[in-house]
Amino acid sequence: MTRIEFLDRLCKGLKGLPPAALKDIMADYEAHFKDAAAEGRAESEVAEALGDPDRLARELRAEAGVKSWDEAKTPSNASSAIIGILGLGAIDILILLPLAGGVVGTLIGIFAAAIGAFIGGGVLFAAGPFMGLPGGIIAALLGGFGIMALAATIGAVTLALTIWLVNGLVWYARLHYRVLKPALES
Amino acid sequence: MPETIDIQLKKGVLGLCVLAVLARNESYAYEIASHLSEAIGMGEGTIYPLMRRMQTDGLVATYLVESSSGPSRKYYKLTDAGRAALEAQRDEWRGFAIAVDALLEPLPAPLAATPEPLEEA
Repeated sequence: MTRIEFLDRLCKGLKGLPPAALKDIMADYEAHFKDAAAEGRAESEVAEALGDPDRLARELRAEAGVKSWDEAKTPSNASSAIIGILGLGAIDILILLPLAGGVVGTLIGIFAAAIGAFIGGGVLFAAGPFMGLPGGIIAALLGGFGIMALAATIGAVTLALTIWLVNGLVWYARLHYRVLKPALES
Repeated sequence: MPETIDIQLKKGVLGLCVLAVLARNESYAYEIASHLSEAIGMGEGTIYPLMRRMQTDGLVATYLVESSSGPSRKYYKLTDAGRAALEAQRDEWRGFAIAVDALLEPLPAPLAATPEPLEEA
């Protein structure tokens, strides 16, 4: 494999990364080839010593995903961290998928229920006093307010749980990092 | 295929080796890679993901150095957290190595602490 072929495959494997991160990584490997050439090493030998560019790309993507999740806990960063880790093969995707589907579905369901309850509580709070419900105006006001507070609490707890779950997944994947192995074997 | 003990060992101490190399001299990735591939037979490609991870973990920091030929070069240096990690991992490694060495030695011939065989009454 020539230098151009190696860099090309690496670049393709890193598609989707933020342009700045991609440029940074490509500059690393370009510098590596340059330093090696200065030592009089052949391109093909350097490329072989570096290892499989597709595998390198997978590991670098996983690292970039985890880094952005560390920096900001947003849903899109969570999904890029998880997709990157799955790309590593660090977690058995066949075992994880049904489990993850169930967990994600449950979390979304709880969120939706919390939002619904919040709106319902708001309606009871605003309209209850005029509906002539048993218990009178005060009960409707307090009941509506209570439901809204409860819904907000459930939403917050679920959010904390979600962040904790993604962190746990990242930790697990790190523990089982298998990607260094082939590089050492070669 | 089962991992050989060689690979498992290297995988565990790669980070420590990089910390140790950087504690001697601040350096750039190619130099670190050729140093470690010579010293412990590490694959050169391993260094870049590893350096990125260590940077993410705050163990190393980078700075650019102007080069006479071509673009400036990225140097790595230890952060305070990196130095602390080096010290902790070095002690851990030494303690572990001493313990394993002791296990590899044959038992000293007559054991002082050998319990006396019980005598039948």
